Amino acid sequence: MPVAVAGAEVAVPRPHGWIGTASDWVRGLGIAFALLDAVLLVLAWRSLRSSAVTPTARGWLLVSVGLVPIMVAFLSFSHGLEASTTVNACGSCHVMTPFVQDLRNVQSTTLAATHYKNRFIPESQCYTCHSDYGLAGTFKAKVEGLGHVWRYTTGRYELPIKIASPFPNVRCLSCHAESQRFLNAAGHPKDVLPSLVDGTLPCIGCHGPAHPEQKKEARAR
Amino acid sequence: MSPRGVPARVLRLAIVLTLVFNVLALLVMVHTTPIVFTLFMFGAQPLFVIAVVLLIGAVVADLRAKDLF
Repeated sequence: MPVAVAGAEVAVPRPHGWIGTASDWVRGLGIAFALLDAVLLVLAWRSLRSSAVTPTARGWLLVSVGLVPIMVAFLSFSHGLEASTTVNACGSCHVMTPFVQDLRNVQSTTLAATHYKNRFIPESQCYTCHSDYGLAGTFKAKVEGLGHVWRYTTGRYELPIKIASPFPNVRCLSCHAESQRFLNAAGHPKDVLPSLVDGTLPCIGCHGPAHPEQKKEARAR
Repeated sequence: MSPRGVPARVLRLAIVLTLVFNVLALLVMVHTTPIVFTLFMFGAQPLFVIAVVLLIGAVVADLRAKDLF
């Protein structure tokens, strides 16, 4: 297997099917449909030059305004929903830079970096730990994300960035609860498990810090 | 569509709105950030809905002008 060398780090490329992933196809088809629709819109515009709208113009309009954009909307929404859960998406706001840098630092011993560098979570690491389980969790995370975008673009946030509410154990337990390593660990005696499940004993209390300590600094924006 | 129907500028407006929608959709697929996706969700998609409403309105007006609706 070829070994890719990136800077000082040695990395083995992840397996990638010859035909690509479903995400690749959604993105590719989305771009193709959007470009196709742009051409159709130009044709529709040109067909509207006469004083009366011809049946041909109606046809172009129906396809370019009524049909193809529905496909574009579906593919863009699908791709955007998934792409907005990636670490790159979270790191696109500069206030997240220290967190993402720590995450990607193989020397870091924070809980987040440990999960990232060992790929305990294969992808979308920020989103996986910061969203609750199930459909309601996904919806809640998206609504909260919307709030983050609003506060970031309007500058209504304070540094250092703090988690809005205590990190719930259920997010750790959704992966670890059935793990033998977790259940049989010396640090998790049977009498402590109920406290971990009901959240009275926070996981992060023993396994922190999740992220590096942030310096108090003036807001850059 | 007869001269009594919806003027062509309404349909041109629908085309422009759909084009804006397309540009933002392309942006989402080429370079997705939370801000771009939010713009697409709450800016581009409503514009597309308005374009479709304009198109439907034009079709209905056209049919009415021909006493078909």
